[in-house]
Amino acid sequence: MDQTKQEDYGYGLFPEKKARKFESFRLNLKCQGMLQIAMDTSPHAKLLFQAMKGSGCPVSKDRHFSCEDCDGTVSGGFDATVSQIVLCQNNIHQQSHMNRVVTHELIHAFDHCRAHVDWFDNFRHLACSEIRAASLSGDCSFSSEAARLNFGLKQHHQECVRGRALRSILAVRKIDTAEAEKIVDEVFDTCFNDHAPFGRIPHGAKDAKFAHRHYENRDRYYANL
Amino acid sequence: MPPPRACDDYLSEFKHCKSLWNRFHHYYTYGTSLACQQWKEDYYNCRAWEKRRDTEAKEALLRSERNRLAEQRKFPPVWKLRQDPPRDWHMPLNQGKPQDS
Repeated sequence: MDQTKQEDYGYGLFPEKKARKFESFRLNLKCQGMLQIAMDTSPHAKLLFQAMKGSGCPVSKDRHFSCEDCDGTVSGGFDATVSQIVLCQNNIHQQSHMNRVVTHELIHAFDHCRAHVDWFDNFRHLACSEIRAASLSGDCSFSSEAARLNFGLKQHHQECVRGRALRSILAVRKIDTAEAEKIVDEVFDTCFNDHAPFGRIPHGAKDAKFAHRHYENRDRYYANL
Repeated sequence: MPPPRACDDYLSEFKHCKSLWNRFHHYYTYGTSLACQQWKEDYYNCRAWEKRRDTEAKEALLRSERNRLAEQRKFPPVWKLRQDPPRDWHMPLNQGKPQDS
């Protein structure tokens, strides 16, 4: 007789369910680990953390981030009702992707912190934040687009930003494509050129580091202008 | 009064601006070629200001920086900026949320 048989609460009857629980737990740990690495090493994320603190919204990993299983292929979201960023642990598998998602969602959080953004009823506000997040997070960098096999060159970044902003709006609101396109067009110039807190479009880590340096020295900068 | 940035910052911005990598990404983003000369002029003006307290150099540098800022503020904003952060930013998750102003 097996002396070491442990109580399995009947989970042994449902091997798939047990495997799913374990898998979800494993993905949660992996997500938390990748989030910590993003916080420690991504220059985009580090600048955003500092800018959030500077705007009166210091970010706490435990309070403001949640790793969860999500439907479909969505990577993350910002829940303005509870001021929390959701990271889709079942859809983020690489560190570079995690870095981009964290940056993207922190841009929404930053907009929520510094402006009266009406996320639910004002589509112009929603479009604006999506344009900024797509443009400034690296979602539309040459390498990100090339990895999706979208090979474009001249001004392709802008085409990508428009497209991703449009898709983000259509995914979360019941609105018709033509109307959504019109809204994106209306706010595009302002929002594409609003680079806060970076001061530039950070094409890569070096841009982000220079932007961070400038942000850290902003008191001196404005005092001596 | 010191210059708005450390002079070496202007030099490193110039070098980064000129790099092939950066020029490529600028074209990918804006579809135009990038002018980097201003960073170089700013560097020389910064050094002249620091070393010789050259007032013309100082004015030129300040003009350049103010132009940079003005370029970023050309478009009417879509939303109104807050005076204070959202009240529920720190609120624990299991409590009710107040009406956000």
